[in-house]
Amino acid sequence: MFILTKVADLVQIAPDDFKKKSIVAIEDYINAKYANKVIQKIGLCISLYDLLWASEGLIGHGTGLVNVNVEFRIIVFRPFKGEVMFGRIRSSTPSGINVRTDFFDDIFVPFDELPEGAEYNHQEQLWIWNCDEETRLYYDNHEMVRFQVIDEEWHDQTPAGPNQNEEDALQAPYRIKGSMAMDGLGVCLWWDGDEGEEGGEGEEG
Amino acid sequence: MKILESQSAVLTNYEVIHHVTQVSMGSKRMGKKGPANYETLRKEVIQYLTTSPSPLSQKPLPYTQDSIRELVRRLHPYDLAKGELIMIFNLRPANVVALNTILEEMSDRFNEDQQSEIVAIIADVLGHFPPPQGTDSAKSGEGNGDVPAENGAS
Repeated sequence: MFILTKVADLVQIAPDDFKKKSIVAIEDYINAKYANKVIQKIGLCISLYDLLWASEGLIGHGTGLVNVNVEFRIIVFRPFKGEVMFGRIRSSTPSGINVRTDFFDDIFVPFDELPEGAEYNHQEQLWIWNCDEETRLYYDNHEMVRFQVIDEEWHDQTPAGPNQNEEDALQAPYRIKGSMAMDGLGVCLWWDGDEGEEGGEGEEG
Repeated sequence: MKILESQSAVLTNYEVIHHVTQVSMGSKRMGKKGPANYETLRKEVIQYLTTSPSPLSQKPLPYTQDSIRELVRRLHPYDLAKGELIMIFNLRPANVVALNTILEEMSDRFNEDQQSEIVAIIADVLGHFPPPQGTDSAKSGEGNGDVPAENGAS
């Protein structure tokens, strides 16, 4: 789910950060710049992992900024295709189910990736899986689910200029497409409650 | 900004939570907080990784630094892919159905005995959630009975 990416960048330490230790000032600069940001085709940056190399600090003309060239590794959220993850149901629409994790919201499970027999209930605004004649299982909001990553979408948000459409700007920069069609995927309690004699019940606590 | 290597390693959830809770709060910081956007994200990542049914929600933490090595060694004969091992470590499947979602074409690759062997190895190395409430409440009931007695004695 998480990977390490090696990056080279220029760190500029402002004078009011001189009171910090150099390593802390560099770490804070990198985390402020990268944490919670998506780099196209890389993923969602989480946190500096380690600093591999740093140059001497150089002060240019006109400003008091200390310029340091650094190479570092950063933790990135980038689940691979086929990975199974936990998530929480955010909302349901006729086109599918929106899933989120605490730190990442743009996960979508389209209706054709739900198990056979799933149908949308317009009154309750949620999906129901008729798994056999008697059993109806509900995809309730805020329920923990397992899903499998099947695809990803990237939308570069670089401004296109004054002629840009409003719609383009609204696209999330990184979207994950998931599937819940396989046995064992879907709401965690369905599978763990019945099958796990010792493993499952702990979830209810 | 220049990307030198887009993927130089894969991390397990355990390594990530170890990093954001321990390493990044190292002694050099002296308890000072980082930038606001990072602190928010850090809190959310910790919250996500420690939400049940993630194995990291269990207290005390069932994993140690050696767990990964031990798991790789024990599961070596089954010839699993790296991604599958990482998922096993992150999700800790407790039964065959959960294992089925992780291992591709499991029924073709392994027979039923092997499947339950893998589940048993996972439970052995990575631990499992405590047994259902029935036994739990019985135990805590006994515990409650004992505590006042001990207090009285002291």
